[in-house]
This record gives sequence, structure tokens and C-alpha cells, in this order.
Amino acid sequence: MIGEIMAGDHYLPGIAIICVAIVILMTTFFREYDDLHRLILTGCSEVVALCIIAFLATDLAEALILPGLVVSLAELVALSEIYINKEGLGLVPAPDRTIEVFSSAPPIIAAILVIYGIVLSGFTGGAVAGVGLLFYYLCLDHKERFALLETVSGYAWVLWVFAFFIFMMLPAYWFFAVMMAGSAIFVKVTIKLALIGTMKPDQLLEETDHV
Amino acid sequence: MREREIREGHGSMVSRISRFISDFDNLVPAYALMIACVALIGLLTLPLLTYEPDQIYPKTLNPSSPLNPYDRGGAPFTAAEVHAQYPENAPYIGYVTGYLTPLSRFFAATTQYMGTTIVAHPGGIIDEILYYTRGLDTIVETSILFVAFAVASFLYRRREE
Amino acid sequence: MFDLPIEGPALFSIPFGDIVDYASPYTLILFLFAALFTALAILSRPEQHADIIFGEDGVYTGRIPGPENRFQRFMAIACGLAAMGATVSGDIFNFCIFTSMVGLTCIGIVASSGNRHVLNAAFEYGIVTMIAMIPLFGGAAIVAATTGTLSIWELAGGAIAVPFVAKAFLVLGVMGEGMAPFYVAKAEITRAQGAPYILMIHVSSLLIFLRIIEIIITI
Repeated sequence: MIGEIMAGDHYLPGIAIICVAIVILMTTFFREYDDLHRLILTGCSEVVALCIIAFLATDLAEALILPGLVVSLAELVALSEIYINKEGLGLVPAPDRTIEVFSSAPPIIAAILVIYGIVLSGFTGGAVAGVGLLFYYLCLDHKERFALLETVSGYAWVLWVFAFFIFMMLPAYWFFAVMMAGSAIFVKVTIKLALIGTMKPDQLLEETDHV
Repeated sequence: MREREIREGHGSMVSRISRFISDFDNLVPAYALMIACVALIGLLTLPLLTYEPDQIYPKTLNPSSPLNPYDRGGAPFTAAEVHAQYPENAPYIGYVTGYLTPLSRFFAATTQYMGTTIVAHPGGIIDEILYYTRGLDTIVETSILFVAFAVASFLYRRREE
Repeated sequence: MFDLPIEGPALFSIPFGDIVDYASPYTLILFLFAALFTALAILSRPEQHADIIFGEDGVYTGRIPGPENRFQRFMAIACGLAAMGATVSGDIFNFCIFTSMVGLTCIGIVASSGNRHVLNAAFEYGIVTMIAMIPLFGGAAIVAATTGTLSIWELAGGAIAVPFVAKAFLVLGVMGEGMAPFYVAKAEITRAQGAPYILMIHVSSLLIFLRIIEIIITI
């Protein structure tokens, strides 16, 4: 069995290692001028940022990592889209994905993952169900879903804010607010991942015809 | 480039620095250099850092509990003991920590490792912090997610046109 | 207990659980500035820039297409709201999250331009914004680990020593998110169209920079 480990026992060595890691990472930014490589390196820098928070080693740290993770993911998505735009990569023909598995498997796998995600619920459940929907939208062609998904995600956001105000103003109804926030985070994470699935060249078939 | 440097001259230090950062290709290296310098200072002044033992929301481990890493005590609909920053601002603190959904309670009664699964039903210490005591953080975080996807989908749709 | 002086008398405080927002004369002025410019972004009509053709007398009025305009306006309003939140936040991590929202919305405003050159600049700023998460969140985490609290109320007054590294990290992080000292480099941004909304980038980064200076002097 592990002996009694107190939080913060290894704080200083941890910070020392992180400082060295930061110096190494920053050196790479000094030497690397390729845009795509720098985009990937920023992903590494998010890991370093989360590590510093993790060394706090309390429940608070876990609650701070979640916003940190989400913020970095969100910025990475936006930045990647800027990269694609500035390089004008939109016109690259999509790879030929007319494989039979990609037309029969998505509904089954997506259904399994979504149901499992609902059982898990919360943030992780949303991620699992979202992966299912991402796969579904990646493989099958669904054009008009984008606006619908965005609208639903907007409502989930409003639900969350509403739950927060219940917590602040009517704390006696905390149970209602927890359930509301829990389902809102599920819907929101699911839809954000599904949106990534819909972000693919629309004219998949026509373009593959040209090639 | 060479000509410009001669023409605009070897001016004062300030104008040289300002010319260097006016080229946005130099922005990332300049910023990375600054962070690396502070990280080195951090490495040198490391002995001055001390970990404060009296933390808010401390983590306690109870290996015999099925909820192991997250067990903070408390039964559903009773308050658990939570060391928050301002307990007086949260009159119902501890209730979310103590709550488990019936399904989670079933898992906790059946298996010893409920806490290590990824089952994330509403309730527990993390939800207490995320939704209640530090709820504003989470609101801003979801807003950031919202804005980032707005940027991405705007650019995506413009590219499609 | 929320009436102790921060960096002047605290005018009022709004508790959100552990996060207690407050307004002092200084932060209130910053907040009002942010509110004013948000209102301007909501109310004002976008500019119509003039394209002059060299060698001729022709001057064309350029119109920014509708979707771009709406998007820039949305981003500018979001940026203003984030700046308002950051100026009155009473918690260091909360301030950091508001600050990274300011950074992201600034990138959004710049990226709405279709000009390849502006997009290149937006990408560079985006990389800086993402690297800035290390010092920003790292600084906040070091504050929490070495003092045991994130609340500016607890840290105010100098009773608890905040390490120099944490303060330096916080300032660097805000510099990266708001690009505050890189105003020279921002000349590229002003090539992007849409005058009242572009203004929001400068205002918000100035405000969050003034606020972080106040915070590191207070704690």
C-alpha cells in the first residue's frame, strides 16, 4: 500500500520540472517557423498549463482543470479553422470515403455510444455521446443539421445559466439546479463534438467524382 | 529589408525594439522568450515557494470507500462537510456533494470501484465546486466554448461558400 | 467582512459563492469604460471605408457584407461583456478565464476579415493567445498553491505573500491574451475592416492590462 502522502509533498520538484518544460517548449517556438507545427506545439503548451494546475493536488485543482481544458480546446478549434482559412485548404478534395462500412456502421455505433453516454451523463457522458454523433455525421451526409445543432446548443447554454441563477438566488432548490446543469452540460458537450463531425466538405460525392 | 534598416536607421533602442515587434512574425518568438525568462527566474527562486498546507477544498483519500478519490462523506439530502472559501455565501453547501443519483448508489453498492469509473452523474464534490461555489467560472467557460465554436463555424461556412 | 479596503474603499460587492465581485473607484471606472464601449458597439453603425484607386480619380465606398458585419458585432459585444466581467472580478482564476475570453473574442474580430494578410496576423495572435494560457493559468495555480486561496479579498493587504513568479506569470499572461504592449504590431489588425468593432480590441486589452496591474499591486 502507498504510505501517507500529503498534498504538496512533491510540489517544489514538480514546479521545477514544469519550469524546465516551459523553457524547452519556448525554445521550440523560437526555432519552429512552420505554421502547422506551431499549431501542434500550442497543444503541448496547454498540457503544461494544465500540469501546473494539477500540482495544486486538491479538489479545487480538478474543478479548475475542467475550465482550463475546455478553454484550450475551444481556442484550438478556432485557431485550426483560421489556419485552414488562411492556407485556403477548403478546396482540397475530400478523401474517398465511400466504403460500405461507413454507410452501415454509423447508426449502430452512434446509437450504442449515445445510449451509453446517457447512462454516464454529465461531462464524460456528453463526450462519449458526442463521439458517437461525430462519427455519425462524419460518415453520413447531413447538410441542414448544422444550424439546428447550434440552436439546441444555445438553449443548453441558457439552461446552464438559468441553473446558476437558481443556485445563487434560490439555493433551497439546489437539487433542481444540479439536475438542470447536469443535463445541460451533457447536451452541450455532445453537440459541440457533433458539430465538429458536420464540419466537412459538403459536396463530398461531387468532388470525389471530379477526382 | 536591408535598405529599410539603413534608411530608418540605427535609431534609439526603443525604435529598434518597436520595429522588431512591428513584424508580427517576430511576435511569437519575442513572447516565448519572455515566458522562458520568467520560467528561468521561477527555477532560480524556487526555494522561496512554499506549499500552503491549509488549502480550500482539500483532497482526502479513503481507499476502503467505493467512491474512493471523490468520497467526501454525506448522504443524499444531507449536507457533507466542505471547506469552501466563503461558506456564508452558500447556505446549502454540502448538499450537492452528498447527493448520489440512484444509479450511482447502485453502482457504489455493487462494486468497490465506483469512484474510478467515468460515470459522471450529477452530484459529488466536483459538481459542488463547478456548479455552485465557483459556478461563475463554469458560466464563463461555456461562454468561451460558445464563442470559439461561433468563430469556427463562421469561418467554416464562409469557406464553404 | 467584505468592507475592508482593497486599493481604495470597496464601493460594493456581489457574492457569487466563492467568487465575490467587487467595485472600487478604480475598477468601477474601468467597468464603466467597458460598458460604454459595449453600448457603442451595440448602437453604432459600421463604417464604410473608402477604396482609392491609384492613378485615377476613382473612390469607391466599400461595404462589409452582412454576415461578416453581424459576426463582428457579436464578437465585439461578447468582448465588451468579457472585459466588463474581468474588470470587476474578485477572484484570480475567474479573472483569468474572463481574460482568455477577451483574447478569444479579439481573435474572432480579427479573423472575420477575409483578407489573407489579416488572417495571417490573426493566426500569429492566436498562437500567442494560446501560449499565454501557460503563464495565465499557471500564475493563478501558483497563487492558489502557495497561499491556499484565490480570492483577492483574502490576499489584499499584504498579509499573505504572493511569490514574485506568480505575479510575473499573471502579467505576462494578460499581455499575451490582450497583446497590450504589442500595440505596434496591432497595426496589422487595423487593416481589417469594421471601425467601431476593431476599436473594441484595443479598449478591452487596455482595460484588462490596467486591471491586472491593480491586482498585482493589491495582492
